[in-house]
Order: sequence, then C-alpha cells, then structure tokens
Amino acid sequence: MSDLYQRLRAFEGRPAAVSGQGSEPVNLSMIRHWCEVLGDTDPAYTGKDPVAPATMLQAWTMGGIEGPQSRSPAIDELFALLDGAGYTAVVATDCEQEYVRALRPGETITFDSVIESVSPRKTTRLGAGHFVTTRMEIRADHEPAGTHRFRILKYAPRKAVKERGERPRPVINRDNAGFWEGVAAHKLLFQRCDACGTSRFPWLPGCGGCGSPEWTAVEASGAGTVHSYVVMHHPPFPAFDPPYAVALVELAEGVRMISNITGVAADRVRIGMPVTLEFLRVAPDQELPVFRAVASEGGPPPTETDPRAEPPTGGGDRTELPPLTVPITRTLIIAGAIASRDFKDVHHDPEAARAAGSPDIFMNILTTNGLVGRYITDHLGPGAELRKVAIRLGAPNRPGDELVLTGTVTSLRGRTAEVAVVGANGLGRHVTGSVTVTLPEATA
Amino acid sequence: MSARRANSLGGRAAVVGIGATAFSKDSGRSELALAAEAVRAALADAGLTPADVDGMVTFTMDTSPEITVAQATGIGELSFFSRVHYGGGAACATVQQAALAVASGLAEVVVCYRAFNERSGRRFGAGVQRREPSAEGVALGWALPFGLLTPASWMAMAARRYLHAYGLEPEVFGHVAVTARRHAATNPAAHFHGRPITLADHAASRWIAEPLRLLDCCQETDGGQALVVTSVERARTLRHPPAVIAAAAQGAGRAQEQMTSFYRDDLTGLPEMGLVARQLWRTSGLGPGDIDVGVVYDHFTPFVLTQLEEFGFCPPGEGAAFVASGALPLNTHGGQLGEAYLHGMNGVAEAVRQLRGTAVNQVAGARHALVTAGTGVPTSGLILRADG
Repeated sequence: MSDLYQRLRAFEGRPAAVSGQGSEPVNLSMIRHWCEVLGDTDPAYTGKDPVAPATMLQAWTMGGIEGPQSRSPAIDELFALLDGAGYTAVVATDCEQEYVRALRPGETITFDSVIESVSPRKTTRLGAGHFVTTRMEIRADHEPAGTHRFRILKYAPRKAVKERGERPRPVINRDNAGFWEGVAAHKLLFQRCDACGTSRFPWLPGCGGCGSPEWTAVEASGAGTVHSYVVMHHPPFPAFDPPYAVALVELAEGVRMISNITGVAADRVRIGMPVTLEFLRVAPDQELPVFRAVASEGGPPPTETDPRAEPPTGGGDRTELPPLTVPITRTLIIAGAIASRDFKDVHHDPEAARAAGSPDIFMNILTTNGLVGRYITDHLGPGAELRKVAIRLGAPNRPGDELVLTGTVTSLRGRTAEVAVVGANGLGRHVTGSVTVTLPEATA
Repeated sequence: MSARRANSLGGRAAVVGIGATAFSKDSGRSELALAAEAVRAALADAGLTPADVDGMVTFTMDTSPEITVAQATGIGELSFFSRVHYGGGAACATVQQAALAVASGLAEVVVCYRAFNERSGRRFGAGVQRREPSAEGVALGWALPFGLLTPASWMAMAARRYLHAYGLEPEVFGHVAVTARRHAATNPAAHFHGRPITLADHAASRWIAEPLRLLDCCQETDGGQALVVTSVERARTLRHPPAVIAAAAQGAGRAQEQMTSFYRDDLTGLPEMGLVARQLWRTSGLGPGDIDVGVVYDHFTPFVLTQLEEFGFCPPGEGAAFVASGALPLNTHGGQLGEAYLHGMNGVAEAVRQLRGTAVNQVAGARHALVTAGTGVPTSGLILRADG
C-alpha cells in the first residue's frame, strides 16, 4: 500500500460535515424552479399541500456559491492532501439516496456527514485518482428525512487534454459535391438514372445498371432500416468515444449508406431497426446525415431478437417503461446546476471544464438524479413515491447530446416496485441505476 | 466471358523459388532492404542468379519500386515490370502477371515480391482518417465521417450481416482462429510458434470492431516474401520440383469497392471470389474434392468462411462447421493469423512447400493446393499442382 493511500485511508470514519444547516428552508420557489428546469409536472409538487421532489434531497444541503459552510476540517485536509498529490479535479460518480419521508415547504434542513471510504488509486478515462465516498444523514425539522451516499472522484486531469478531435471530413470532389450541398440544405439526395430509373448511392457520374451518364438527384424520405452495423471498440480516434455504433442504413428508396444511429446506446442497435433521418452538426461548418432509432408504439426502440440477450425472466413482472428522451442543451445543463444550487465551474464554464479534462461543460449528478426521479414518477405516478434512487454516472452529458432513459420493472412486491434504469447518450451509457418506488394504490 | 471456359494460361509456368526474411514486429531495416533480402533468398532457393531475372512484379502498395529492388539485388535489364492494385487482393495476381509474361515470352524469369514494415511503420490497423478527393478517396470517404475507419470495421459490417443471415454467433469465427494457431504452434517461422489457442480463448478476447474480436484479426508484421516464376520447361531443369500454376485468376464483382462493398445486393457472399473460383475450377479441371491443402486469405476470420463457401467446399452459412470438421487442411503454415501478415504472399510460399513436400505441417502426398488473395477487395487466386 502506498504511503499516500495509507494517509488517505486514515480519514475513513471521520466527519465530512458537522451540524450542517440548509441555507434555505424547503421552499416553493426552489421546488418550482427545479420542476420547470427538469420538466417535472407531477401534481404532488404543486397545489394545496405540495411536497418537494424527493431527488431534491441533496439540493437542500448545497452550500451555494461560497461553497459548503459546514465542511469539516477533516474533509478539507483530505482534499488538500489529494490536491497536493496532483488530484486537483473533482467529479461526482455515484449518488444513492434513501427517502424516509417527503419534505414540505417551511421545513428546516440539518445534516451530518461522514467520510465512509477512500479508494486505492484508480485509473479512469478522465485520469488517475481516488474515489471518496461520504454518507450524509439529513433531517427535516430535526426528524430523519433521508440518507444521501455520494461518491466523487478526485483525479489528476490528463495532461494536455485537447478539445475532442474533429471527425474525419467527408471526402468531396466534383462527382459527389451535390450530395454534400444537399446535406447543408438538410436534404438527403441520392441519384436516379434518367435512362433506366435505377436508384444509386454512393454518387457516381454514371449508372451501374445501364451506363448512362444522365441522372437526377432525388430527395430521400428519410425513412430507413439498419441493414448491418458495427460497434467500434478499438483503436481509439480523437473524434469518437468507443464503444460507438456505425450502421449501414437501407433507405426506404432501396439505396444504402453508412451513417450513425442516434437515440440509442451502441449496444442497442440491431439489424432491422427502423430509423429516420436527422442532421447532426459535428463542427461549426459541418453537418452529417445521421439516423435516429424510431421508437415503436408504446415501447422502447425495437431491439429485434438478439441471440446474445438474456431471455426474459419468468413471472411476468418485468415490464419495460416507455423511454424518455431529453435533449441535452447547454441551457438544461446550466439551469439544472443552478436549480440544484451547484455552482461548480465545470457545469457552466467551458474553459474550466476543459482545464478539468472535459471538452465542454457537463451535466451535474443532481440534475441526472432529478431526471431519473422524474422518469419514474412520470410513468408510475401521480401518487408514486420514491423510496430510494441509486445511480452511477458513466459517459458525461455534454451540450448537443441527447439522453434516452429506459427502465425495466425488475420486481414488484405489494406496492413496492424496483426499477432498473439506463440512460444512454451519444457517447454510451450516461447513467445506470435502480429505483425503489411505492406505487399509488390504484396502480398496484 | 473467360470464367465460362478454360483459359490457356494453365500449366504454362511454375513457381520455382521462394524466399522470405524473418517475420518480426520490428525489422530494424528499411522496406527496400527487406524486399532485396527476400528476392535474394528466393533466387538462391531457385538456384538462379540475378542475371537470370528479366521481369519483376509487386503490389501498387509496395514502397520499393521494381527498378530499385533490381538495383539493390544486382538484377539488370527488365523487359517486364508490373504492379497490381487493391492491397492483399494482389497476392496471387502477381503470380498471374508473372505467368502471363512467361507464357507470352515477354520475360523468362519473373520475381514477385512484397515487403513492408507494417508493424513498426505504418500499421494498417491504425486506420484511415483522411483521403484525397480522387475517385478512390471519395469511395472510402463515405464511411470516414461516421467513424468506420479501420480494416476490421469494414470487414465487421459484412460479418454482422453474415451472422444475421445464418443465425450464427460471433463465436463461430473462432474455428478459423483456432485452426490457424494450431498450425502456427508447430511452425518455427511463425510469430505464434508454440502458442496455440482454444475456442474459449477466442471467445474471451476483447472486442475490436464488434462482431470481430482481437483473435479474429491477423497480426501485423514486418517482413518480406519473394517468389520466382519461370516456364514449366525451365522449371524442370532447376533444383526443386516445380509448383505448376494450374490456374490463376483475378476477380472484381459488380458494384465492387475496396473494403466497402456495402451497396451491392448481398453482403453475405464474396462475388469477386466466386468469379475467381469459377475460373480456377474451369481452367484446372479440378473441383473442391481435388484440393489437398487450402491456403485461404485470413486477414480477418469471417471471410475465410465466405471464401470456402464461394469455392463450393460447403454450402453458404456452413463455413464454420466445415472448418471445424477439419475436412480440408487449411492454412497449414498458420496463416496470417498465426504465421505472419505478408499481404498473402507467404501463403503462396506455403502452397509451394506443400507441393515440394517440405512444409512443417506437411499434408502427405499433397498434389493440389488452392491459394487465395485478399478479401473485401478485387482479388485473385491460384491453383498450384505438383508436376507430372
């Protein structure tokens, strides 16, 4: 065991926050702000006897722009030790909350927190560092209200982190320039032979069927299916974060093209999956035609039978929840951070984010937690009560991406359901987690 | 077309010399030095001198020009020099070019060679991110912005469709890898000498471009291989039994591309190799049952199955079961998965050794050997036979 790690471990069991106090009592303004940002319309948070969304639990304890007021000397020392060893950046990775009861406007928040564990040195995609786990007991009007276990990574940002590399440019010459002009005008154009009517792609200055040089550009409807696909793992390229999927899309008009599939994680792409055209800006002066997986009626994007997939378990209580798609705008990332009183610069300042090793700002864990909570109560509510939300973050939510939350009810006992949640973005899995929820009586 | 009847090239020329450098991960020498060493070795093996050579053939991808290799090896005037395009698809076609030159009298002794520092220099596996806007660059350019950038990825697109069409799992590709590594294990020249693998090893290896795993991909190699071709008559005067070129063929399919033939009707076959097969069977008068040893191009495992199917060794979709059955001695040197990745040229040399009776994993009494060249590209093939 390294000398540093021995010193780090000595902090286990020591307090992280002592007699902390929420800077505001539970209040309707912050609740409304939160619900507006996350798009949460659950009536439980408005009306006559409103409660706070359960996933706001941590937000009530946040220190605000000045940073936490109640931080213990021990956690300051621990962080100073890590900073001194070069692990200067911080990112939250796990959040596990148990809710004892709902919080109501006017209640005052107090809390204590303990350093539960410090991990050995781990190498991560962001850089090497140590995970620090804290456990916070939160009280409302001095009664137990919930437990909040939180894991962060204190890491050394990789040296010379560049902005994410640019994608390879399309290769354009006089034979195919018309296609790329079409893309710039948000049209997907293929060629049709004037002589024999054969459709063709890729673009060529003559017909493979009859040899005629005469042709007309035809705009594709944008509907297609995945004819084949590859999931790229190795080697790494600056513009791409593996694993990512590249598909051979067969358009409704019968021609095929290589593209990317959006709206599903790489491991959910399947042959036969219906897709629809959209345009993705990959550089200030470059858009690409890509294809979004089309959700079938009342279910997640079709998965076709995958021979590798586990067979559905018996008992019939595995129910898939319809997916929820959330565009990850810069506004959502920043507004979510503010609504959760998280003023860390990496959630609003691109330059600070780059200095910490990320190509752009990224969503904070509190917002993701809130979205997971909203996803569950949207589908199982109104009246559903969250008991526990445990999430782990993976690929970051950065501006311009899109989060697709999917959920599977893995068990149902009485009125208590366990739901496994996965949130995928264009980079891979943003969040995986499990939620315990008490269903309203009518549903159960 | 020629595929419908025998051509007149069969039986006119023979491979009489083979020579290679050591196969390594870092040769420490120039590609030109490797080419020259391989050429000298092949001439020595044939019992010929540089002065006997009047023709040279290589790949368009080779960085060592015929004239420069000639200079570096003491070869003088050349009356025939040629290069074949399309990467590994050129392997057997270099021998075809040599045979054409010999049969027509354009040259008498032709050396075919391929040498590169493909591991310590520019690695093909590192992928492509930029292409010039030539017709060739544009063809590949349709795939690049979307991140389909490596040979493995271009193969994987067809491999996924193949698995889907026949209801198979990626693990079936393991039979090819296990067979190659079994042979490499007993070949001292092979990189993977002494290191056989199991199907479980294959299934446990990491994904490269799903459905391809690490052990579905050939290694990368520094090295050189040369072959000497002359007339059958002269071959009979030389020191080794001739490996007669019973048939040689090239093939490009309709809507053919280099590595990205994604737009034609069916991704589960290799029509260009089907065309090669039809020509080879017609001209040689042989069929799958006559082949004693197969040297089937194996840069990536899936297309080994497709090739066996195109040649009619087994029905479509049954390539893996055929390989597992061991019915055809396959890639007895260890293939490019096990011996070395020399753009297929080391496979031609293995076929010659089998017909001479000098292979490390010798097939007893082998008289007919099939060799194929790179897949996913316009390609070529050979049937070599023992003389007499």
